[in-house]
Amino acid sequence: MNLPAKMDVEKDKLRQMHCEFNPLSRCDGSVMYSQGATGLIGAVLGPIEVKTQNLSIDGSYLECNYRPKAGLPQVTDRIREAAIRDVLELALLSEAHPRSKMSVQIQELEDRGSIDACAVNCACLAMLIGGLPLKYSFAAVHAIINEQGEYVLDPDQSETLHQRASFTFAFDSVEGNLLLIQTKGSFKIAQFNDIECLCLAASAEIFQFYRNQVAKYHGRSEATAKKEDVNET
Amino acid sequence: MFHNSNFFEPGKSKPERSFVQLAVKQNQRLDGRRSNESRDVELTFGKDWGSVAVSMGDTKVLAQVTCEMGPPALSRPNEGKIHLNVYLGGVAFLDEAHTTHDQRSLKLNSLLERTFRSSRSIDLESLCVAVEKHVWCIRVNVNVLNHDGNLYDASTIATLAALMHFRRPDVWYKDGELRIFKKKEREFIPLLFHHYPVSVTYCVYKSSVQPILDPTLLEENAADSVIVLSFNSFQELCSLTAGGTAPTNARIIMQCARNAAVRCKSLLNFVRKALALDEECRSQGDQSVDGLVALILNTEHKLSYNKLMGRQKQEQQPPPSEKMQLDNNESSETPVANEEPSKEESAGAPMDTSDWLPHDEDSQELPMRSEASPSKAGLKGKQSRGKYKANKKTPPRKQNHSDSEEEAKRYI
Repeated sequence: MNLPAKMDVEKDKLRQMHCEFNPLSRCDGSVMYSQGATGLIGAVLGPIEVKTQNLSIDGSYLECNYRPKAGLPQVTDRIREAAIRDVLELALLSEAHPRSKMSVQIQELEDRGSIDACAVNCACLAMLIGGLPLKYSFAAVHAIINEQGEYVLDPDQSETLHQRASFTFAFDSVEGNLLLIQTKGSFKIAQFNDIECLCLAASAEIFQFYRNQVAKYHGRSEATAKKEDVNET
Repeated sequence: MFHNSNFFEPGKSKPERSFVQLAVKQNQRLDGRRSNESRDVELTFGKDWGSVAVSMGDTKVLAQVTCEMGPPALSRPNEGKIHLNVYLGGVAFLDEAHTTHDQRSLKLNSLLERTFRSSRSIDLESLCVAVEKHVWCIRVNVNVLNHDGNLYDASTIATLAALMHFRRPDVWYKDGELRIFKKKEREFIPLLFHHYPVSVTYCVYKSSVQPILDPTLLEENAADSVIVLSFNSFQELCSLTAGGTAPTNARIIMQCARNAAVRCKSLLNFVRKALALDEECRSQGDQSVDGLVALILNTEHKLSYNKLMGRQKQEQQPPPSEKMQLDNNESSETPVANEEPSKEESAGAPMDTSDWLPHDEDSQELPMRSEASPSKAGLKGKQSRGKYKANKKTPPRKQNHSDSEEEAKRYI
């Protein structure tokens, strides 16, 4: 049913990304992020007071939760949550706020493929807009080898029904180093290397999307500031 | 008592409460609304059946309905199950606050249980496939995304819209063999409702006589009493919750009840119009359905209460066209015409509810006819059709009769 939506996008290109900043009012930073038909809400809160059992003198404690749309979190959701936490712990500058807690929450809105990579990207945007200290930003890309042996970047849910192998890579924005690798299925090492290069090239597009969206977000506030200055004069 | 400073909420400190109560005494609210004015309600339906996001101002709620086949409860072997769950954790950051000094999730769960289950809004007997063996178990998951007051109304509207939007798979059962059809094989079936309850929340202050409709979080925390009333489209009371410290008299509650009944009716009309628009959008194909991603994309085409109700006022101007439509509905099929006058006589049902039900029947009967054309499929279609009709007819009439009897007694 969703085949026409993906066929509009080529196999070696990402689906269209959209995001909206601060849709929620109670947290320090939030983002609504969508990639194709997959959508998530991310929210961050912190630095805040930490419980005694989670106290850490040399750094802050990171709490990360992923919630599915229906029901309680299952084992797959916990695995996804652990992957996001691993990437966040690498990227977060926790020494800046010792004896505190950073909380990141991800809520699934629609799952139409590549939900793991979208969740990592959503967490990165939420931390950027929430003002948590980061060493670098990070981007995740999902790719599969379909039953014809072709590489499909950022597949739709309908394309993953008969996949041979699936890959999730996360890269940092400074040197393009690998932060996360998740693979499933059977593949050759040559295929793995090819897909890694393909995802690394796609992550540059995601980093450019981050820059455009954050610049656009702050550009609006600058326009508002200019209007206020004009009113004051 | 220890108050966690991480999860600050407006309206908890004494100067804030005094300020809000003084403002209410002067008939003013902090966001500029009047005392009987509510925030705009927006509905966004997801790609999956039974998925809806509701926002009232800054209060945002996400509801998702799922179903699974399972054994029934021992006490009620011929009824399906319905579970209502509210989750306050996640992006709303309410879970630690509620474990210390609030019990919002328990209150919300209790309200939803009394509004939807105890009032018997859903026909649970229609969810039974085989007595004592196989019944449908409907599960409603309400996720609170943002809390800016009045979670009761938002979660009730989300639950109602999600249940009305939900479709379950068709089932074939013969000689102990159960088969659940997939989406491609046979079209999904909506749930059966006896009535449609919606809740409305008021806040009462000691310093003022006028109750406040649809409070924000600041007003809700600063209030002395909170009154939650649930009405259905027939303006029957489904549940009443009055908590707090202000001694409210019967006059205030009756005033709230009268206004709440009117508002519930208009809210239900809004939900129906939103569902009709979503149905039109889905009939054009899956590409045109944005799902919950529309929360980011389209800011102009959102299903907003003010817009749809504004359109309704315009639609009311040409009455003859409406009469013609009603005549067409009555003349289309005789069984529909037979059912309509009985409902009108019993409860004096508004025309909107009678308009809604025949469309469901029409949409369901069409695929049955197409399936009857092959010989083998004809047998299956006939059996399922008979079972469906048998299940559908008897329980609603009983319920309607009992409701009408209660109404007659009340009037006498």
